[in-house]
Amino acid sequence: MPFISSLMIRLSLVYLMIGVSIGALMLINKAFLISPLIWFIFPIHIEFLIFGWIIQFTLGVAYWILPRFLKTKGRGNKNLARLMALFLNVGILLVAFSGYGLGSKFALAGRILETLAVGFFIYLHWNRVVTYNRG
Amino acid sequence: MPLIARLFLKTGMTWFLIALLLGVVQQIDTLLFPSISALFWHTLMLGWITQIIMGVSTWMFPGRMKVESFQNQRWSWLAYGFLNVGLIIRIISEPFISSSDWMVWKYLLAISAVIQFLGVVSYVIEIWSRVLSKKQRMKKKRAEG
Repeated sequence: MPFISSLMIRLSLVYLMIGVSIGALMLINKAFLISPLIWFIFPIHIEFLIFGWIIQFTLGVAYWILPRFLKTKGRGNKNLARLMALFLNVGILLVAFSGYGLGSKFALAGRILETLAVGFFIYLHWNRVVTYNRG
Repeated sequence: MPLIARLFLKTGMTWFLIALLLGVVQQIDTLLFPSISALFWHTLMLGWITQIIMGVSTWMFPGRMKVESFQNQRWSWLAYGFLNVGLIIRIISEPFISSSDWMVWKYLLAISAVIQFLGVVSYVIEIWSRVLSKKQRMKKKRAEG
């Protein structure tokens, strides 16, 4: 497993843990009201679990497991892959925390970074979605 | 494919069907079903997608013990048990939170939250040490002698 994949998968597990902890807290709060303010962390729950966990895990595994280039045996531009992981994670954090006084510009910047990360992902993987079995 | 992975995948598919049935019920105005939106999303995201990810990763990630036993796969089994029992308890109790004064539903919902959380913790314990880059794996092998 390449370093970028192990990094993205481990980060996704961290997001999973935080997202589920928030979810459990909200569920307990639904049963026994601890504080109405707990509902304000709902956007973090959603962003962390959808983008941080599911999407990041999927991208990390795909980077590892899709066929490598036949000639170079590599997975393409490593710097672009690093940038993909960086943009995705900064984007997730900006979107998740934009509702807490950071303003809508941070949410916009976060979504743009996430979009760029997905663009990089597609660029890196488009030509790896192939078959080398010509028999 | 080991038994635990097959169970994760087949149970995940069952939750997928349940989620979509809840989605159908959600669209029928005459059927008033409390908390249906939360149940739809959680059966889909936790019961289906997360469980499929767990099943496939416990099967295909490096470092899996080839000999199948509860001892070798205990964190996966605990993850499977906690996650599904927690989700079932949630489905049973959550609709009654707003419609019943009976305290047992509230306790059950809180218990389901803790159980689902424990399921995720068990999965993370199982998979964390298996997420290794090539370099890290070589290092680990060398350290193990």
